[in-house]
Amino acid sequence: MTAVLARIRALPSWQVTLTGALFVLGFLIAAQLAAEGPRIRYTSQERAPLIETALGLQEQQDALQTRILELRAQIVELEGEEPGSEALVRQINAALEHARIAGGLVQLTGPGIIFRLEDADNPGPERDSLVTARDIRTLVQELWLAGAEAASINSERVTTGTAVLDIGNAILANSAYLAPPYEVRAIGPDDLYERLTTSASFIEFVRSRIEPYGLRLSFSELDAVTVPAYAGTIRSRYGRPDPSAEPVR
Amino acid sequence: MIRSRRRWAITLVAAILGVLVVAQLRSQAANPGLSNLSAQELTLVIANVNTRNESLRAEVADLERTVASLTDAHDRGESALDELRSDLAALEAWAGLTPVVGPGVSIRVTGEIGGEGVEDLLNELRNAGAEAVAVEAVRVVAGTVVYGLPGGLSVENTALPDGFEIRAIGSSQILTGTLTRAGGVIAQLGATYEGLTISVTPLDVVSIPATERNLVPGHGTPSL
Repeated sequence: MTAVLARIRALPSWQVTLTGALFVLGFLIAAQLAAEGPRIRYTSQERAPLIETALGLQEQQDALQTRILELRAQIVELEGEEPGSEALVRQINAALEHARIAGGLVQLTGPGIIFRLEDADNPGPERDSLVTARDIRTLVQELWLAGAEAASINSERVTTGTAVLDIGNAILANSAYLAPPYEVRAIGPDDLYERLTTSASFIEFVRSRIEPYGLRLSFSELDAVTVPAYAGTIRSRYGRPDPSAEPVR
Repeated sequence: MIRSRRRWAITLVAAILGVLVVAQLRSQAANPGLSNLSAQELTLVIANVNTRNESLRAEVADLERTVASLTDAHDRGESALDELRSDLAALEAWAGLTPVVGPGVSIRVTGEIGGEGVEDLLNELRNAGAEAVAVEAVRVVAGTVVYGLPGGLSVENTALPDGFEIRAIGSSQILTGTLTRAGGVIAQLGATYEGLTISVTPLDVVSIPATERNLVPGHGTPSL
């Protein structure tokens, strides 16, 4: 025993430190593996590549959306330089600008509210303690009814074709995955918050959905809220302008 | 020599620990929501995001064609008015500023239903790819909400009759299939509202009017 201690004492101090660090690391890894049951370990192994795939697709989506916004800006610039008849070009460009703003293809900044909607602090096994797509839809609808003129959910602009869906515990808007916490932005009149909070249906939403299940709803009223431009597709496969409608130009 | 080996050993351990810590932090911070999903939920999210990426790629290709066409006309000193007109027609139709026609469905709703139930139906139509939707004579655009309690529904300040129609343009097969599938939105609404009947009829031609809503912002400033 004395001989062993003497040999340890003879070792350089850096070797002892390193051995100690590696021992702690090994202990932590073993403890982590032992703490996970066989089922969890199996699902963890299955989920890791799926999470990687989802993150990779999300990155691609962000890049595609940026590209769409760049191309749209380029088109606006080229259309402005159109060499045709000046009056006609001006008229069409003004109509294009109006349609882009009306459809939500342009970023908007103005007075408004930013809401943050989060799951309950300690969500139980029940789905009710988690934010659902319907909760987000209800909040957006209440904002529209209170006079909001533009809205977004996380970075997705709410447009004429926006669906907000539950996929299990995940929420999608415009088919884009929304990472929690959920942020709903709205631009509207100065009294938007007052109108919202005095609306009977909003009060009912807070009473029946937010309070009893511990969902967390917070807000900020700001002079300048920015609602992003819609960076998705506007391609039409089935519908076409009604030929019987009176031509505008 | 010994000092060099010592340095290498410490550097190696520090590097391994660094990689492990960064990987752990990244996997937790990159997307806290995704790490809470089951394998099945992740698969569904991947399928949805993938489908959206395909449609975004198609949009990018379309926009690149438009840029090329405008640049080409510009370089030759020619007018691209036709391109502008076609862009304008597509944009106005999509935004709800002009009437549109196309194949789709007519949905007849009879019996008592609340505004949130109708909104669930509209949300499912959008999810199924409806390109334009109208509730009776009102075009549904951003900001349009069907609200009220059963028996007292309104949309854009217009009361809805007891039996009303929703029309949508899109693939009549996909729209019908999505709405009427077992456990789908119609089945769920039928379980919530007693006596409610929702029938879906595929049509070759559906007409949807333009919106009467003023979509020009009065409070926000656009960043053009």
